Amino acid sequence: MTAAAVVAQDLAVAYGGDPVLSDVDFSLEAGSSLCLLGPNGGGKTTLFRALTGELAPASGAVSVTGRPAYVAQTERTRLDFPVSALDVALMGSLANGRWWLPARRADRAAAQAALGRVSLADRADERFGALSGGQRQRVLLARALVQDAPVLLLDEPLAGVDPASAEQIDALFDELRAEGRTLLVSTHDVDSARTFDRVICLNERQVAFGEPGPTLTRAVLEQTYGGEIVLLEDGDGPLRAVTVQHHDHSH
Amino acid sequence: MRTAVFEVSLIAVAGGLLGAWIVLRRLAFFAHATGTATFPGLVIADATGFSATVAALAVALAYAGGVERGGRTGRDLGDSATALVLVFALAVGIVLASDVFDSGAAVDRLLFGTAIGLGGEDLWVAALAAGLAVVATVLLGRAWTSAGFDPGAAATSGLPLRPIDLTLLGLVALSAVAALPAVGALLVTSMFVVPAATARLLSSSVPGLLCVSVSLALLQGATGLYVSLWLDVPPGPAIAVVGAALYATVALALAARSPATARPVALETA
Repeated sequence: MTAAAVVAQDLAVAYGGDPVLSDVDFSLEAGSSLCLLGPNGGGKTTLFRALTGELAPASGAVSVTGRPAYVAQTERTRLDFPVSALDVALMGSLANGRWWLPARRADRAAAQAALGRVSLADRADERFGALSGGQRQRVLLARALVQDAPVLLLDEPLAGVDPASAEQIDALFDELRAEGRTLLVSTHDVDSARTFDRVICLNERQVAFGEPGPTLTRAVLEQTYGGEIVLLEDGDGPLRAVTVQHHDHSH
Repeated sequence: MRTAVFEVSLIAVAGGLLGAWIVLRRLAFFAHATGTATFPGLVIADATGFSATVAALAVALAYAGGVERGGRTGRDLGDSATALVLVFALAVGIVLASDVFDSGAAVDRLLFGTAIGLGGEDLWVAALAAGLAVVATVLLGRAWTSAGFDPGAAATSGLPLRPIDLTLLGLVALSAVAALPAVGALLVTSMFVVPAATARLLSSSVPGLLCVSVSLALLQGATGLYVSLWLDVPPGPAIAVVGAALYATVALALAARSPATARPVALETA
């Protein structure tokens, strides 16, 4: 049996007052992938912040192998910042613990190589804010690659990403799992969750956790999304689901 | 006069470098308030013969600590609280100066600076601020850039965000105090935010921003000092006017060259 890379035990998380997320209890093997589903404000980002250690558990416990790499939603990173794609990828090397020293040649080589892996080697000197949404997401993935983290936390990496970038990001996910890294990816796309090893449904608490096939039932999806989901019957195929997003940005 | 040139040059180095970080981290309003918050302390020190440097530093560091603490506990002090501190500090300072201590002419000097009467202590404090700004930029520059670009990711990559943020706020406080004798409590920002804001319009990389910011601060400081002697006005306002003119010229030139891409981003605060 492979060792668990990420474990949450009876976890509850609060921002001062009552818990905004509770009853979270799951364990994830190294080299596997987990999809986080849930409505806006359902606790996806909160769970990430608990796993990175930014938020201490109100009760329960979390453990994560090594120091995770966190890729926030791209809107949160500043587009007017005077940094190039290479500068951003190079930020991953700060995690090596020598952040007060200038970047080494090896760090630069690693950053350049990481940009190569996300097919952006030729855009290294371009300003980060001038890249497309999908390209920016790939640069942030390159930063996570430079960080060489065993666990990657990706907050809606495919939101607003062009199809070509999405395909490349998907392929990269497969490579990362093959390298034994553990991926946690939040998304609004219920159908894409079926390609992951495990899925967790969050709506202020853990609604369900398990393999996508048996887990994503009509009852679970309705409990997870409430009125924010439209379920499409499709004969004898798997249930298809379309989420209706309300953009209130209350994370 | 030589002392004034040295003093302003040292402040320009500190202000140019720290200003770049201030603008990148959106701390412009904080920097401005730090300078003004020292005003009541300066009035008391001036009237009682206490060391102005020590009094101003105490007030500025207390203010910076409060802001950092507020940000850390999630109760971000925000622009309105900063504005309140600004008004309060200015009002208390004026009341103390006019009704309690009868400071009279000293108020002008404290608020707007002086080119004559700068002493050895002022130079030493400015040299210390400039030196520390250079050292901190070399050692902490990468961390500050990363934290400003994406604080969430920077925290998870193991950067000790609190100490490095506190260092920046503390250095801004120290440098603001160093700049007080020459440019005055009200116009400290003219050396800290204005050159960097202009540089921000002209540079597309962080090292470029730092170089242009320091160069502009030196240019603005020297020109402002000359104008202040020529027109017999305090150096603070002269430097501020030169700086504002530089910013306006650059912004207008850029807007004229590429109207579609001109972005008035640099003066965003908080």
